[in-house]
Amino acid sequence: MAAKFGTEEWATALKQEINDSSEYRNAANKWGVDFNGNLLFVFEADEGTPIDRSLMLRLSGGSCHEAEFVETTSHPDAGFVLRGPAHLWREILERKTMAATAILTGKLHVEGERMQLLKHTAANRALIHCTASVDTGWD
Amino acid sequence: MDRLFRPLEEKLSGVVLTPDQFTSDDQTNFGRVYHWTPRFVVRPKTHEDVVETVRFAREQGLFVSTRGAAHSQSQLGISRGGILLDMKSMDRVLALDEKADTVDVEAGVVWRDLVHHLKKHRLVPRVLTNNLGVTVGGTVSMAGIGVASFKYGSQGDNVVEMDVVTGAGESVTCGPDGPEADLFWSVVAGLGQVAIATRLRLRLRRFKSLTRTYYLLYDNINQFMADSEKIMNDSRWDHIESWSSPCPQGIKPVDGRRQPFAKWFFPYHLTVEYEDGSPPDDAALLDGLTPYDNLYTDDIPTIDFFERMIPVFELWKKAGTWDFIHPWMECVLPWDTAAAYIDQFLVDLSPGILIGGHILLWPAKGPTSRSRLFMRPEGENLVGFGILPAIPPGYWDQVRPMLDNASRLCIEMGAKRYLSGYIDFTPEEWKTHYGDKWDWFAGCKHRWDPDGLLNPGFVPLPSAPGAARKG
Repeated sequence: MAAKFGTEEWATALKQEINDSSEYRNAANKWGVDFNGNLLFVFEADEGTPIDRSLMLRLSGGSCHEAEFVETTSHPDAGFVLRGPAHLWREILERKTMAATAILTGKLHVEGERMQLLKHTAANRALIHCTASVDTGWD
Repeated sequence: MDRLFRPLEEKLSGVVLTPDQFTSDDQTNFGRVYHWTPRFVVRPKTHEDVVETVRFAREQGLFVSTRGAAHSQSQLGISRGGILLDMKSMDRVLALDEKADTVDVEAGVVWRDLVHHLKKHRLVPRVLTNNLGVTVGGTVSMAGIGVASFKYGSQGDNVVEMDVVTGAGESVTCGPDGPEADLFWSVVAGLGQVAIATRLRLRLRRFKSLTRTYYLLYDNINQFMADSEKIMNDSRWDHIESWSSPCPQGIKPVDGRRQPFAKWFFPYHLTVEYEDGSPPDDAALLDGLTPYDNLYTDDIPTIDFFERMIPVFELWKKAGTWDFIHPWMECVLPWDTAAAYIDQFLVDLSPGILIGGHILLWPAKGPTSRSRLFMRPEGENLVGFGILPAIPPGYWDQVRPMLDNASRLCIEMGAKRYLSGYIDFTPEEWKTHYGDKWDWFAGCKHRWDPDGLLNPGFVPLPSAPGAARKG
């Protein structure tokens, strides 16, 4: 059964998806090991989404330690923030837009050490794949 | 009959072709991404033919595009409704000056023919491209990189004089220094934007009769680069050449789809020239290098070394992949991000992409080149990296986003693209590519090609106000 996007149930499903993924475990085994690999995805309000939402992922060494929606659009524990309009995120999660393309063309705004993120594109591609694999129900 | 056919033909000693005479090769280039039909193909015989063609085009409001062997993969070497100057018809080797170690050639001379012409004199151009089936004018207009570039720079750096026809139809002789240096350096690696080279004087070097090549193998990019620094920093080696080579390991998920993956190795072919009876000291040459393995040592005549890639290209032709789409993505990376980029790219690359292609690596020295328009990152040591696939047409839409992102990622990591390949820049990305050279390049375009006549459709250099073309 689909988990509704933005809920604790969805975040839990994502954590499970990441930790069950051999692709992510292998691709991300160096992610967050000697730097802060926690990611904050900020889904900015737009026409279809009335309020900002953010997803905090605590990641290191190929594992997800915690996934939760938070009410702020910044977070002191985040090593990186990926910020973009909600409709773009939905396109990414529905695999209509490649996350790498969105980042490299500037449609997704990156806060944090951009070069570090670019040096781990395989890890982040695997993460996005996990995110897109969650059976999602939209508003 | 096209009303302009007779008036154009009457001005030229060369040949003018109309669409009913075109072959498919006249309408695309090696990339096979773009298919354009010119109004005329002109095969000039002389410098004057090129002058007359450009002047005629100006009078009639036609664009002029140029091609050598048409090895480019984007919107170069093809024409949409204009005149396509097929320079291969200007293929004479002119004066050889053995005292100065230079040779004059027409722009359409194929490098392989020049190598054979010069071999009896034991002379060779200082830099040769891997593919010798391309023309002197073509590669100089791109830069021209080869296995001796780490010592001698690009082929364009080894031109000492050129006759050119500007976009205004003027004949100018120019060199790397002196009053026409701006024109010279806007033709070298200038993608045919300001003028058409018709005669080039090339610097030569004497070669020894034999080569010995050491086939080293590296199992990680960092060790490969550490040894590359040593290799480039001493004068032991005459030629250096390298690749990425896959050892398939099985199937793994990439973006959720299971596909073959590989452990990537880095073959490194290091070559010295020597004379018969004076073989190189293997131990001294390899001292200090730490390859994963030393696989093979090959002794062949130097002339065969220059042609070493011909059997590979023949194989690709026989296998049919030569006719596939070639969206090659080549770039020059800064030393400090090269390993990370190459690792990231290769980790999930399916080895199957290399059918009919390969992945090139070429460690390079930035300061060996004076070229203003062969854009490269700052720094002494650089790494060239090229993904050279042959894509069946049915897979192009699937592969294209991957190559687009590979291009964007390398640029974000400080690289500059090498422009003979598949380029799909936005106007802003073009400006970023040329950086502080953009205004200079645009100024050269205005000065020598004021109507924006030459090679349109690729670099979006601003044309002069009011310039309007029919082709």
